Amino acid sequence: MAPVTEPFPISRIASRYLLFDVDIISHVRRNHNMCGLLVGTIPNLSQQNVFLGIPLELMPEEARVLVEQGAAYIVDDAQAHRQGFMEMSREDRLKFLQYMDQQGHEKAMESKRMTEQRTAKALSAKGLKPKEEENPPVDPELVPEPYRDVTMPQFRPNSLASVKPVEVKEESLFDSEPAATAVSAPENKIVPHFITPTTSHPPLPKPAIDHSIPLPVVPKSYSLYRYVQSKGYFTMPGLRFGCNYSIYPGDPLRFHSHFLGTGLGWDEEFDLLDVIGGGRLANRNKKAYLIGGEDPQVPKESVTSTEGMRVFSIEWVAM
Amino acid sequence: MTHPVHMKPAVLPAPLQSLVTDPKLQSSTTHLPALHSLAVQIEHNLQYQHSWTALRIHTHSPLTNELLPRPLVSGVPPERAYIDPDEQIELLKKADQKRKAATDDKSDSKPILEFEAQPEREWVLPTRLSEKWTLHQLHDVFTGISIVPPENETSPTTSTNPWRTSKRAILATVDTDSTVVYYVIHEGMIKPRQN
Repeated sequence: MAPVTEPFPISRIASRYLLFDVDIISHVRRNHNMCGLLVGTIPNLSQQNVFLGIPLELMPEEARVLVEQGAAYIVDDAQAHRQGFMEMSREDRLKFLQYMDQQGHEKAMESKRMTEQRTAKALSAKGLKPKEEENPPVDPELVPEPYRDVTMPQFRPNSLASVKPVEVKEESLFDSEPAATAVSAPENKIVPHFITPTTSHPPLPKPAIDHSIPLPVVPKSYSLYRYVQSKGYFTMPGLRFGCNYSIYPGDPLRFHSHFLGTGLGWDEEFDLLDVIGGGRLANRNKKAYLIGGEDPQVPKESVTSTEGMRVFSIEWVAM
Repeated sequence: MTHPVHMKPAVLPAPLQSLVTDPKLQSSTTHLPALHSLAVQIEHNLQYQHSWTALRIHTHSPLTNELLPRPLVSGVPPERAYIDPDEQIELLKKADQKRKAATDDKSDSKPILEFEAQPEREWVLPTRLSEKWTLHQLHDVFTGISIVPPENETSPTTSTNPWRTSKRAILATVDTDSTVVYYVIHEGMIKPRQN
């Protein structure tokens, strides 16, 4: 893990706060007890959503705490990209394009090498076993009409088709147009692949701190979040327990949560039924129900101080 | 409903009813009669349904001697109402040592692991389910109370139990059908019990 220098940038995209750097993600988890939520999936396999990856989405509360503590700053990502690429100098642009070309060439070379290796392997396998045994001839009349095209590739691997066109033609038991096209395709000229860059830093430099960007907009439970975070607790969203946060005494991978937290305004009215329900549910799950809010009358030394916070833990009494 | 003086009422009022409509309460000068009768009702429930003893109604804060936001009840439950999880671990360890010593003597029957925690005097905050509360009100209640309720005017307000270091009060909520539920409210983030 490379050391992270604070302040680090948090990308704001469509009013979501995202981290794209794995080093920053682990830094935030270790030093700021924030888990966030990995939201990245594979673009062409988006239904794969069991194991998600980078980027990490932060709650607005988390982003705000980081900004208020001076550990991070918000970057308007769309604006930064537009500006960064429009104002890029000609030399930089050419250098980057050249670099992309070079990478594309390397990729093309590599894929050619892989093809050759595969061919060699397939051929050596052929050398040991006669082809007739491996792929016994199939009478086309035995294959039902609708499946003829479908079953074809099983009898004739593509790699072979491209290497030994004549044999393939002999082996082919159907009058196959596709085999003929496969024969004419490969030439030994390397065309560099086109690379779509997956990161924009580089080529763009680390974005500058812009103080005009407003602080993240946070819900009213923010003061409770900040208090709990300052005490070293981890938080996860509390939807499944009907509260604002489920609060863990350490990393959620190691600990069960201790509190179900609901943030309230200082003079916000709540029903005692909610307190009783929360206490009962929390007790059932070996937790305590936590309500808390900030007294606006208490003078604060700084933005990050939590002197005015009052929190109450509620548990069931067995009587 | 009024009756002529010489006639007996058709239905005698319930004992609780006559308790809360006691003219002594109605003439209470400290708090509203509704709040006072609420405290009496909770005290009654604790005494006769939950066998609490040494019950007392507090109208003034033992710390500042100012008027409390509402009358509070204090008393001693028959068993400990709340055991701190760390204290519980300590008590279990002691009980285990005791059991080991006992099994050394007889060596055949193993007594069950039991520990005893002495009951402690608790604060009780009487509320009605129909009420709305705010953090501000809760804060005001907790500012007025001590860690341990005083048994009488002169007794100490600090605990002899080393595990009892923060303020707590038992929230007693009564519904219109006179069902009372009890939840303990601690000030601050308190490690939850492993029940």
